[in-house]
Amino acid sequence: MAALHEKKSCSQRMEEFQRYCWNPDTGQMLGRTLSRWVWISLYYVAFYVVMTGLFALCIYSLMCTLDPYTPDYQDRLKSPGVTLRPDVYGEKGLDISYNVSDSRTWTNLVHTLHDFLEGYSPAAQEDNINCTSNKVFIQESFGAPNHTKFSCKFTADMLQNCSGLQDPNFGFEEGKPCFIIKMNRIVRFLPSNTTAPRVDCAFLDQPKDIQPLQVEYYPPNGTFSLHYFPYYGNKAQPHYSNPLVAAKLLNVPGNTEVVIVCKILAEHVTYDNPHDPFEGKVEFKLKIEN
Amino acid sequence: MGQKTPQIYSVELNGAKDMKQTDKGDDKDKYRGLWSTCLELRKNHHKEHVTKEIDLDDHKLSNKELENKYHTNIVTGLSSTQAAELLARDGPNALSPPQETPEIIKFLKQMVGGFSILLWVGAILCWIAYGIQFSNDKSSSLDNVYLGTVLALVVILTGIFAYYQEAKSTNIMASFSKMIPQQALVIRDSEKKIIPAEQLVVGDIVEIKGGDQIPADIRLLFAQGCKVDNSSLTGESEPQPRSCEFTHDNPLETKNIGFYSTTCLEVSISPVGTATGMVINTGDRTIIGHIASLASGVGNEKTPIATEIEHFVHIVAGVAISIGVLFFIIAVSMKYRVLDSIIFLIGIIVANVPEGLLATVTVTLSLTAKRMAKKNCLVKNLEAVETLGSTSIICSDKTGTLTQNRMTVAHLWFDNQIFMADTSEDHFKQTFDQSSGTWASLSKIITLCNRAEFRPGQERVPIMKRVVVGDASETALLKFSEVVLGDVMEIRKRNHKVAEIPFNSTNKFQLSIHKTDDPTDKRFLMVMKGAPEKILEKCSTIMVNGQEQPLDQSTAEAFYTAYMELGGLGERVLGFCHLYLSADEFPETYSFDVDAMNFPMSNLCFVGLLSMIDPPRSTVPDAITKCRSAGIKVIMVTGDHPITAKAIAKSVGIISANSETVEDIAKRLNIAVEQVNKQDAKAVVVTGMELKDMSEDQLDEVLTSYPEIVFARTSPQQKLIIVEGCQRQDAVVAVTGDGVNDSPALKKADIGIAMGIAGSDAAKNAADMVLLDDNFASIVTGVEEGRLIFDNLKKTIAYTLTKNIAELCPFLIYIIVGVPLPLGTITILFIDLGTDIVPSIALAYEKAESDIMNRKPRHKKKDRLVNKPLAVYSYLHIGLMQSLGAFLVYFTVYAQEGFRPSTLINLRVEWEKDFVNNLEDSYGQEWTRYQRKYLEWTGYTAFFIGIMIQQIADLIIRKTRKNSIFQQGLFRNKVIWVGIASQIIIALILSYGLGSITALNFTMLRPQYWFVAVPHAFLIWVYDEVRKLFIRLYPGSWWDKNMYY
Repeated sequence: MAALHEKKSCSQRMEEFQRYCWNPDTGQMLGRTLSRWVWISLYYVAFYVVMTGLFALCIYSLMCTLDPYTPDYQDRLKSPGVTLRPDVYGEKGLDISYNVSDSRTWTNLVHTLHDFLEGYSPAAQEDNINCTSNKVFIQESFGAPNHTKFSCKFTADMLQNCSGLQDPNFGFEEGKPCFIIKMNRIVRFLPSNTTAPRVDCAFLDQPKDIQPLQVEYYPPNGTFSLHYFPYYGNKAQPHYSNPLVAAKLLNVPGNTEVVIVCKILAEHVTYDNPHDPFEGKVEFKLKIEN
Repeated sequence: MGQKTPQIYSVELNGAKDMKQTDKGDDKDKYRGLWSTCLELRKNHHKEHVTKEIDLDDHKLSNKELENKYHTNIVTGLSSTQAAELLARDGPNALSPPQETPEIIKFLKQMVGGFSILLWVGAILCWIAYGIQFSNDKSSSLDNVYLGTVLALVVILTGIFAYYQEAKSTNIMASFSKMIPQQALVIRDSEKKIIPAEQLVVGDIVEIKGGDQIPADIRLLFAQGCKVDNSSLTGESEPQPRSCEFTHDNPLETKNIGFYSTTCLEVSISPVGTATGMVINTGDRTIIGHIASLASGVGNEKTPIATEIEHFVHIVAGVAISIGVLFFIIAVSMKYRVLDSIIFLIGIIVANVPEGLLATVTVTLSLTAKRMAKKNCLVKNLEAVETLGSTSIICSDKTGTLTQNRMTVAHLWFDNQIFMADTSEDHFKQTFDQSSGTWASLSKIITLCNRAEFRPGQERVPIMKRVVVGDASETALLKFSEVVLGDVMEIRKRNHKVAEIPFNSTNKFQLSIHKTDDPTDKRFLMVMKGAPEKILEKCSTIMVNGQEQPLDQSTAEAFYTAYMELGGLGERVLGFCHLYLSADEFPETYSFDVDAMNFPMSNLCFVGLLSMIDPPRSTVPDAITKCRSAGIKVIMVTGDHPITAKAIAKSVGIISANSETVEDIAKRLNIAVEQVNKQDAKAVVVTGMELKDMSEDQLDEVLTSYPEIVFARTSPQQKLIIVEGCQRQDAVVAVTGDGVNDSPALKKADIGIAMGIAGSDAAKNAADMVLLDDNFASIVTGVEEGRLIFDNLKKTIAYTLTKNIAELCPFLIYIIVGVPLPLGTITILFIDLGTDIVPSIALAYEKAESDIMNRKPRHKKKDRLVNKPLAVYSYLHIGLMQSLGAFLVYFTVYAQEGFRPSTLINLRVEWEKDFVNNLEDSYGQEWTRYQRKYLEWTGYTAFFIGIMIQQIADLIIRKTRKNSIFQQGLFRNKVIWVGIASQIIIALILSYGLGSITALNFTMLRPQYWFVAVPHAFLIWVYDEVRKLFIRLYPGSWWDKNMYY
């Protein structure tokens, strides 16, 4: 054993290493001769090419089994998530605060809303059709051009006071801000069969000393019209845009932080998943300073 | 014990006389050697021993002075209170075991050894990462703290486990050594008491019978015809006479001191049958205690398997750290935050370190240790299990290990013919021709001229196992005649003994006169045995075929030829003769006077010769053959005579039948020894004298140039020199030994093997392994198990290393390609410490692939446990295939949930943002963060299942390294299937049983995903079968060199 632990001097080690790198006696580099290196490299190249090929083949056949319009499983998307605009995140979730008298604190928020609604301008919605039925819009066939399905138009003006058209500041400067609520898309998801899903915003914990939250919803009643459902996926409905609901909060108490929750009330939408704060509802903190 | 009493029946052949002359000088050398060893050790270890010089003058004192010195009384002994005080002052009379490493140190060693350091680094990095996160953002998640804690727990738990295993095997040993408490007969308060030897104190008066172990260092006060076996102290197996006289200044050589742990062989029956002595030193202060404590100073060599594991840890740590650092740099240069990069680094370390492996190795070793214990090899140090497998030289003791350690009649010579007697241990059936009249006479002499007796009450015990009172030769003769003739005591009764001259070394014969059992024959029968040449001198006739014939020149020559031949076999030869005293001269009433010798002592009738040997154990020759075919060199190292040593070596095969020593060749060619070409000799017998004059180089030359070596008449210190010489040849050396004097060699050896029955405690303490049955054949079993465990550990490691790549690739792909993390760190731990544990242990149960005992022992520097082909094949071939299979499952799950592979690429940043709650998939659906997280965990589970399924294939292919699985038998090792079942069950529980516990990041997985990787598993199997096929088809080829691990 003793020999195994013999300390070698640095120069000896270097010499050994040099010899390992290039051994003039046997013509070996790094323990192999050149031709051996070529052989082994060829083997590995071949091996990896074959393995990559096999893997590619597997992935290819996997892709072949996939339905291009509908995913095989949607068990993780039983209920849609809900998002809010403007979206400013604090340490824990959405956290919006601004000062009414200081326009710099809210121009960004307003800007976000304008940007967001750009996708809902008449020009952007040009390819979509006008729907008025308020019933679920089942399309089994591909009636639209290019083997697609029709999508219903949703334009910003449907949000009336919160469309940014009448009031470019979305009510922020008067302390009655507009918030836009959007429900996530899920292929072939029907929020309910008969009644349109409705947004309902309230204080999370109704403070005793203030009035219940008063909200003006746009479109009226805060509903997502049923004709926007179901969604058939981006291949069938390339121009589909989510319906929106704007909530204009009328009596937010000044200078206090309140937590507001906007839930979607519909037959198939749940908002009580303890793990997922964004499923079927959206919570946000709001603080308006005067 | 004491099978050798050359001053009694010496083998005066081939210069044996010279040997005897040198013996005297040699003895001193022996002691000198012993002490110089001690001094040498002392130089190396300036411990408290330095001050403890042997300072003993009690042998010079008279009884009176002794009484005063120790405040005792020779007749009444110590009083109990005195004894209690002394016991309290001096401590118990036992050798304190070698200083143990404190338990806490042992425990901590387990905590920081091996991979533990890497994991600690990982854990600490986790905590640091959390600390940084926390300082940036008070609400950061505790994931890193959990991970760090889990890693720390893993280290601590595996540490505790390894410690527990180690402790358990030590405990077996401890319980073993306490099995036989020694008793001592002591005089205290004027009463004889039997007390445990541990309670003896200085000044105690003890009585010793023949066969007792001397319970402490004693100064003999009264001893008649006392002989002791000092072999446990000096290695010399010849009995030493002991008396009360002060004969030598050196306490080691004076006759009136008996040493602790040596054996008292015999004490004259008359007048009291016991020897009395005063205890002058107890426990560690005894001579043997000094040697034992000095021997413990010899550093324990690192076991080969420990070196191999260290090598393996270096490889894995090297890979882990280099990949970790490489990707840390890549990550940083890819503009990842440093904090993220640290987390990647942790992931890479966790993926690379086989957390469960060290525990697995420990379990595997202890399983083998248990199996070996069943086969009478008790392993003290778990790692020693493997050492025996890599052993390339065994330095074996002769007595007791190779031989049965009892004299047995081996040959008879009468009627001008040599007959062979059966010397095997159990089936003691003599088959030689017993019809001759000579045999009838000879058998009578053997029976009658013998003082040995069976201890009463052993009728049911097999003859060979009965306890006999008497010396070794007489015992042999007694047993021999009991077997051949039946009840010896009855025969002796019928032939009443009227006179007897016991053996003494001047006469060199033993004689007795009996009445015959033939009532018509009134003659006395005088029977005699002794050194053959002395007996022959007294004879004028010789019995042939039952008839007395005059002893002429030719018969005398025949006698000498037979004598030489038997002596040449290393056997102790006895001559037998008798004489019927004529009834006229010696009437029935004649009174024989043994002092006056009033009976004839010449013109006797020579009957025959009988030779005895301590015969080899019947299992040994086979074991030696096995060792030889296993490429293990067996060297005999003995204190015995070269001739006996050589004879035994020949009969067990240490010197094979057709090989000759230089002397043999010289004799055959009738030339001088110097003229013989040393190249021709395959075997050599080296005596201690020759060895003493050899330089290191000469010894090396002897060790390398002769395949068959016997060292005879060696001292214990020379044993150490021989071991060191062997180790210079890069050999892994096993040493067997039993005496205290062997303990330095046992320690020095790579594996010390102590004898369980004959071995002293000091030897057992110094050894790594104890042979419970003192049988050499058990070593071969041990070698086989050791080699098997090495092969199987290779398989286990190959199995474990493979999935490292499958665990590592997800991280690399995650960092470079930016897909959502395919496999979480916690999940990796569940593979390493969950599904993979039982299967990797199961591989320990795999049977040997082929003639494991037909190949050379591994070269400890060349044949590594983890070699390049193993690492390369596991990492770059099977590991890669496994990763691809697991990735396929991962991609399938994501694709079927809506994220196609093309979408996944570079999705990582968006995917992991907590405030992106509408991430679009390939179908335009939008996902919240939690929905994605859940999908990610499903991905983890899928990847986990993918690896698990392919690990089943990996497990199956690892059953063999060369043979096809179908040659090995798919179902022969049932434990493998237990392993597979455990994998599947653990995975089922994790996926379905704990699916709702999100903390573990497992989700319910659709049943079909379990089968996605199955084709890959089969691909792995097929690929490996092809590999093995080519290895078998083209041995030595390029393929073999690169693919065989």
